[in-house]
Amino acid sequence: MSGFYKKWVLSYWSPYMAMALAGILSAAYFGITKTVWAVTGEFTRLGGHILELFGTDISDWSYYQLIGMKGTTWTRTDGWIVWGMFAGALIMILLNNNFKIRVPRQKRRWVQGFAGGIVAGFGARLALGCNLAAFFTGVPQFSLHSWIFMLATGIGTYAGAKLISARWWKGKPLLTKGSVTPLRARSRKVQPVVGIVAAVAYGALIVYFFVTGHRMLGVAALFGALFGILIERGQICFTSAFRDLWISGRATMTKAILVGMAISSVATLIVIETYGLDPVTKMAAPSTFVGGLLFGVGIVMAAGCETGMMYRLMEGQIVFLPVFVGNIVGATALAYAWDHMGVYDALVASGAKINLLTEIGPGFALFATLFVLAAAFAVAVYMQKNYRFGEGLGRPDFKKGGMKRVR
Amino acid sequence: MSADYTLDIRGESCPYPVIYTLETLKDMSRGQLLQVIVDCPAAYRNVPEEVVKHGYELAREPEKNGRDMIFLIKA
Repeated sequence: MSGFYKKWVLSYWSPYMAMALAGILSAAYFGITKTVWAVTGEFTRLGGHILELFGTDISDWSYYQLIGMKGTTWTRTDGWIVWGMFAGALIMILLNNNFKIRVPRQKRRWVQGFAGGIVAGFGARLALGCNLAAFFTGVPQFSLHSWIFMLATGIGTYAGAKLISARWWKGKPLLTKGSVTPLRARSRKVQPVVGIVAAVAYGALIVYFFVTGHRMLGVAALFGALFGILIERGQICFTSAFRDLWISGRATMTKAILVGMAISSVATLIVIETYGLDPVTKMAAPSTFVGGLLFGVGIVMAAGCETGMMYRLMEGQIVFLPVFVGNIVGATALAYAWDHMGVYDALVASGAKINLLTEIGPGFALFATLFVLAAAFAVAVYMQKNYRFGEGLGRPDFKKGGMKRVR
Repeated sequence: MSADYTLDIRGESCPYPVIYTLETLKDMSRGQLLQVIVDCPAAYRNVPEEVVKHGYELAREPEKNGRDMIFLIKA
């Protein structure tokens, strides 16, 4: 087997490289389609289509008017980003012979995943985007709402980490005395073959889009798959980027994602300036903060956000199926509450679309963005060095065999 | 090298493999061996890295068994 295949297909990638590539690709995707890499908007539309299937008339729901319901998920670029991510991730998992139905031993995980999925779906859409549009691709668009969202998500995940550390929530693992010799796994190599077939079929679909004149769908299907491959190979987890800081001071994902965002900010600014595009700016309002808080709590409860959930599900971690359903339920509930329950009037109407590029000019906007990202990076490094599981920040010189061994 | 305890956390997704492993190690006496079996792909990486960061050592190289990963950790 060639070294290239081994290195790029059969090995996990450095999360830094995966995020750097994702940052560049998302800027390119914006340049081509003028939309950003995002997923939850499409989840909300899926919820709308399901309601329509059951005869509900959603044509006068203002949230659906806001995000647009034209066509079906198969005729929208936002749709193909989602299905492409599933496809790209699944292809890599199959090529690696790593699909396995992974069933949690504790039944409570199903309920936790579903509940967390609802809270995260609701919160993300309240803020008008999840960790992608309101974070990873929002910051590089210099939209102020993404800063509010990022801060609120940080606070939310802290609360979430406290919740899941409670005994009743986390439950007990299976601990046995002595050594266990697991059954030797049989090595069957069916999955890589299926993976190759799937890759060829998906490639043909992309070609089909291009030759039949659906260029944008082809672009979305291609970029979706690339994003799926990147997050799966890099095992990118936005939830872990926040949550693990509060659990064991793990900052690998945090740092990788911040680096990716810094690169994407520069690349996106180049695209905006070169092609004279308008950045995608979303409303910054109290809803952004409240949405970020809920999103933060929800993704920790569900153990995955709307992005990470996708490749986990493809790996066969079926506990993410209720998370996926929960995401759609939560997003759809928000679409209903938006006008029917006065959410817009209470939390959104007072806001404004604020973009740093127009407010302070491109130079300062980039400087401010990179400065805040660098500050966040420094905090992550500090947490990694000093925060320890079960000890917190209290004893920076904590070493193995310290006071914890007294009993 | 035979383990004193075995933690089978197959089926559990992040962050529970890391939490369970560090929690169990905390309650063990120094020098005891803990065998950990995981199948969450994120745990292939974050369990060994967090274990080492928290001052424990891997008693031998992680062993892949099909889609499971087996760690032997010295408390």
